[in-house]
Amino acid sequence: MEKEKALEKVNKIFIDVLDNEEIVLSDATTANDVEDWDSLTHIQLVVAIEREFNLRFTSMEIQSWTNVGEMIDCIISKNK
Amino acid sequence: MQEHINYIVQRIESLNPLHGKKIKKNMTFFDEAYEITFSGFLKKYITYLETENKTLDYAIDCYLSMIADMNVEAVDFFRTGKYSSSTFQEVNDRVYAKPGIMEYYMHGLIMSQFLWKHHYQLFSSYIEQLPNYASKIGSYLEIGAGHGLYLSRSLEILNNETTFVVVDISPTSIDLAKRFTDSDRVNFHLMDVFDFSIETKFDFITMGEVLEHVEEPLKLLTKLNDLLNEDGTVFITTPTNAPTIDHLYLFNNVTEIQALIRSAGFEIESEMSFLSEDVSPEKAEKFKVSTLYGAFLKKTKK
Repeated sequence: MEKEKALEKVNKIFIDVLDNEEIVLSDATTANDVEDWDSLTHIQLVVAIEREFNLRFTSMEIQSWTNVGEMIDCIISKNK
Repeated sequence: MQEHINYIVQRIESLNPLHGKKIKKNMTFFDEAYEITFSGFLKKYITYLETENKTLDYAIDCYLSMIADMNVEAVDFFRTGKYSSSTFQEVNDRVYAKPGIMEYYMHGLIMSQFLWKHHYQLFSSYIEQLPNYASKIGSYLEIGAGHGLYLSRSLEILNNETTFVVVDISPTSIDLAKRFTDSDRVNFHLMDVFDFSIETKFDFITMGEVLEHVEEPLKLLTKLNDLLNEDGTVFITTPTNAPTIDHLYLFNNVTEIQALIRSAGFEIESEMSFLSEDVSPEKAEKFKVSTLYGAFLKKTKK
C-alpha cells in the first residue's frame, strides 16, 4: 500500500474520531500537535484504524508509535 | 508535596506523552483541598517505598506499566464489547497468582489514587458525607481496604469508641493498609468475605471498587446486607466500562448498578457519579468513557 494513500485514510479517521475537520497529518505529527489526541482518543483511533485497514495491532505496537509516520509504517508493514 | 507531584507529572509526560496530557489536565483541577487530602498519604507512601528500598521513579514506572495494560484492555474492550476476563479463575491465573504483576499493579493503583481526578472526587464526597453518619456508627467494617486510604480517613472522622474491622482477601492489601493506617484500633481479617461471619452486625460498611472484581456481585451485595444492622449504612463504589486486567463483571451503565443495589435489598440514600475523562455526556456515551459510581445505601424497609 502506498504511504500517501494510507496517510490520507488515517487523516480521515482522525477527522472523524476527533471531530475536527482542520486536522492535517504528516509523518512528523505527534500528539502534541493535535489537541484532542490523548490517551482516550488514542484508543478510539487505534480501533478505527484497525477496522479501516482490516488488521490487528499488537499491544507493543499500540504503545510504540511516537508520531504518525511510525503509525503509517506499522499499517503498511502489516498490510503487505 | 507539590514538588513530588510536579516531578511525577513531568516524568509521566516524558515517558508517556499521550497519558501525560491527561494527567496534566487533571492537575489543573486539583485545589488546595487536594493538597490537604493527599500530603499525608503521599508522605506515607514515599516512606513505604524507602523501607522497601524503592524509589518514586520505580512507582512511576509501575503506574505506567498499569496504564499500558489498561490501554491494551481498552482496545480489546472496544473490539469485543466485553472485559477480557469473566471468571475469577482467569483473573487469578493472569494476575493474582503472579507476584510480579501484582507488585506493579498495586503501586500503579496507589499512584492512580492521587493522579486521577475521578478518584479524588469520589473520595472527597465520601469524607464530606461521612461525618453526617458519625454519631450513629459504633462499628465500621471495610471490605477490600486496598491501600487503606478510606480506612485512614474513616479512623480520623469517626468516634474514638467506634470499632473497626477490615476483611480483605489479599495479604498485600492487608499489609499496606496496616502500614498506612498505623492504628491498633483495626481488627484485620485475611479471608474471603463470603467466609466471614460475626455475631454482631455493623453500623457502617465501606466497600470501594470490589463489585467489579467478582463473578456474582449480587451475591456480594446480599452478603453486605446480611452483615449490616437494620438501620446501618453501606457505602459502595464501582465503575462502569472500566476494562483492566482484573475486572471481570461489566456494568455497562449506572442504571445497571442501581438495579443490582435494589435487587440486593437496598435503597439508595444518596449517590454520585464521576466521569473518568473531561468529555461531554454525548462523547462519554460514544466512547464508553468509564463512570465511577458511589452511593450511600440503606436496607429497604420491609
